Amino acid sequence: MDLLTYTLRKLIGGIPLILGVTLISFVLMVHFGPDKTYELLSKNPTAEEIAQVRSQLGYDQPFWVRYGNYLGQLASFDFGYSDSTGERVASILSRTVPISLALLAPGFVLGNLLGIVLGLVAAWHRGRWIDKAIMGFAVVGMSISFLVVIIAFQIVFGVWLGWFPVRGWNVHDFSSYLHYVTVPTLASVFVALGYNTRFFRAVLVEEMGRDHVRTARAYGAGPVTILYRNVLRNALIPIITRIMFSIPLVVISGSLLIESYFGIPGVGKATFDAITSGDQPILKSVVGLTAVLFVLILIVNDILYRAVDPRVSLK
Amino acid sequence: MTSALLEVEDLSIEFATEAGPLRAVEQVSFRLEAGRTLGLVGESGCGKSVTSLALMGLLPGNGRIVTGRILFEGTDLATLDQAALRRLRGRRLSMIFQEPMTALNPVYRAGDQIVEVLRRHEGLSRRAALDRAIEMLARVGIAAPEQRMVDFPHQMSGGMRQRIMIAMALVCRPRLLIADEPTTALDVTTQAQVLAEISQLAAELDTAVLLITHDLGVVAETCDEVMVMYAGQVVEQAPVGALFAQPRHRYTEGLLASIPRIRKQPLERLPVIPGTVPELSAMPTGCRFAARCPQAQADCRARTPELRMLGRSRSACFHPAGEE
Amino acid sequence: MSALPTDLIGLEPAIGRSPVRRAAGRLLADRWAMLGLAIVLLFFVIALGVWAGLWGGNWMASAGQRWEGPSTRHWLGTTILGQDILERVLFSTRTAFEIGLIVALASSMLGALFGALSGYFAGTLIDSAVLWLTGVLDAIPFYLFVAALAFALKGNPWAMHIAMVATFWTTTARLVRGEVIKLKELEFVEAARAIGLHPLTIIHRHILPNTFHILLVQATIVFVAAIKSEVILSFLGLGVQDGVSWGLMIAESTTEVTAGHYMNFVAASSFLFVLVMGFNLFADGLQDALDPKRSGR
Repeated sequence: MDLLTYTLRKLIGGIPLILGVTLISFVLMVHFGPDKTYELLSKNPTAEEIAQVRSQLGYDQPFWVRYGNYLGQLASFDFGYSDSTGERVASILSRTVPISLALLAPGFVLGNLLGIVLGLVAAWHRGRWIDKAIMGFAVVGMSISFLVVIIAFQIVFGVWLGWFPVRGWNVHDFSSYLHYVTVPTLASVFVALGYNTRFFRAVLVEEMGRDHVRTARAYGAGPVTILYRNVLRNALIPIITRIMFSIPLVVISGSLLIESYFGIPGVGKATFDAITSGDQPILKSVVGLTAVLFVLILIVNDILYRAVDPRVSLK
Repeated sequence: MTSALLEVEDLSIEFATEAGPLRAVEQVSFRLEAGRTLGLVGESGCGKSVTSLALMGLLPGNGRIVTGRILFEGTDLATLDQAALRRLRGRRLSMIFQEPMTALNPVYRAGDQIVEVLRRHEGLSRRAALDRAIEMLARVGIAAPEQRMVDFPHQMSGGMRQRIMIAMALVCRPRLLIADEPTTALDVTTQAQVLAEISQLAAELDTAVLLITHDLGVVAETCDEVMVMYAGQVVEQAPVGALFAQPRHRYTEGLLASIPRIRKQPLERLPVIPGTVPELSAMPTGCRFAARCPQAQADCRARTPELRMLGRSRSACFHPAGEE
Repeated sequence: MSALPTDLIGLEPAIGRSPVRRAAGRLLADRWAMLGLAIVLLFFVIALGVWAGLWGGNWMASAGQRWEGPSTRHWLGTTILGQDILERVLFSTRTAFEIGLIVALASSMLGALFGALSGYFAGTLIDSAVLWLTGVLDAIPFYLFVAALAFALKGNPWAMHIAMVATFWTTTARLVRGEVIKLKELEFVEAARAIGLHPLTIIHRHILPNTFHILLVQATIVFVAAIKSEVILSFLGLGVQDGVSWGLMIAESTTEVTAGHYMNFVAASSFLFVLVMGFNLFADGLQDALDPKRSGR
């Protein structure tokens, strides 16, 4: 019950954020957005036809009414129909989101896990050559553009080696899934690993310098005990925060690029197509849902804090 | 001569820094008998904390013991590897630190942390360890010990946390307790209580105590013997009464003179020791205190004085006080 | 009593050096950081040369055959339109610096301003407003934001810069806010308040100067983020509209590489990689010099 009231309270507190995001996006995309009246009309439209289309597209309504409608759509998850394909936005989303998740999840999990492991190794042996080597690779990884990595991987795996497909998403069973997901996963891990490792190493080094680690040593704790009970466990809050807040980044930006480039029909590619064609219903839905996702992440993050650190109270 | 519990011989400790190796502790030697309390006094930076860390094998990464032996129950701790030292830490010798606020792990309950030590060193079952821990908490003067066991550190005051630390330190009945400024961070009333508890428990458990402090008042109250350090060296060691009655080294003399107390005649100003401690990277030859010593003479700057017996004290001074 | 010096300028402290001198000393001694700085300066000279018209001016002309390999006339070969790749990659250096400098400077200023206000008046309406704004801007996906802005500004070439600045200032503001909150509890600020200085004066004269190290480090990070983002934005068609950039070159190359024409791709990627790497090395060294504990030594 406690948790429920807390969640509700936080959701309500997140409303100004959602309002802000949707308002700004709405102003930019819809209010200033392309006027699609003439696309839906034939060659020599009469004034009547123009008025009819404009009314159909909702252009004749005042700003706040249109914005209100948008919010209503968001609340009911019904965004109408895509401008380009005419398909229901909801069904487009339900088709593309699972694909994006299946595509990005392995890379996300692997990128963070490996980052933590490498960060641990580097932090534990800080100052020695393995630390410098790991940090060296991290800097190099950070300095290569994601796009460059994707193109390079496409050349290497697709053109030269031909081991994995680099376009499309012909997935019907687990082995074909592995087949298609490998190169995108490798690309995302490659790019994220540099940043992740550096961050986790910094967090862990800071935790290692704390007094209670010295106390643990003073009472005979061995390296494994110290690493787990005194360092990792205590560093969980910044680690969790970082992982949670990288979700919007990975899901939206990562999917956009990978899917457009590899031709995978996920929500990123749908968004990209929507951007280039100016398909507002899809853009509105993606932005709105992103805002809601962001607020949900904030809430889950807070709850995880409480689970992990007894000093934090749900207030 | 009976073999003491702890015998430190010619201990020297160096740190590797950006500016080259710095020697923080120079040829320190002392003995501590079982069940006795030795106070280690000196100002910040004199090397007292570093010495205690070296005893436990807890020097930071860039520090190392360059010479000397640390004979604890006959074994030279300086030669042991980390695995061997881990078996001793918390079991045969324990240490408590200055900052109780940060010494405990904030995400585990207080009781769990003590139980962890017990199970590691004595292989007790969880139930047995819990009972021992509760019993220990009661002995350090904590009311409602069962409740304190399940509390988290942030739910306790500084004094309470320090008592938890003391309980953790003594629960395995170590022979030696090193207390590095255990009460400096506490308020005055709690200070007195905690010190009293340490003394009492040490007496009950026949534990020797190496008490590090900069407060001579604390030393007078709790210690059997005192050791004074200056600029990385031991300058005087004596039984408490002897030191306060007749300090030998000029530094000790200056320290005692600067303590405000009720005198027969009012003073114009409180005596102070002029000057500052020399930098580690620029140690003078000869007696390190000579630059600030009102009695310094030519031989003081030329040669380094060694510890010599005088009365009941040992001091490293060519012209000690009270010789006339 | 001897005469007191009436002018403190030029006097060196008797013991020790100022924190700035010490940090500078550490930085100069850091070989990797100095290598990074050298790389950045080299690229900067290249960019200046383009500005001055010394090289890179011929990036648009179709001077040769299409897809020529490297030769003495065209050191890096030509593109599908016969344009000299070397000229293009040199000109792109100037583009990169333009974008990087503008975005870094603008976002630093915005971040400093809002961060300081938000931090100094922490807990009040001003703070809540700034926090809300940074939260909102963080929640909007970057590429969507650029797209939306591009629509709204009807293809204005500055849309990309504005979008970048609007996104990147938030991290700087947050960091400055955190630092200001710590600073305003220090005694020297209390002293400034006690002598009656106006809050804005206090912020301007006493608090902001103590955040310069944060601003400097963040500026380098934003510079890197800006030129890296430009690559992806240009690929999406939302980036540089006029002129040429590494991003545009890479975007062009995507269709060529499958046919085996790599020069465009390799040239642009390499230049980009070296500059970004140089900046990252320098930024690392800068952070380590300002806070030696950071590397855990």
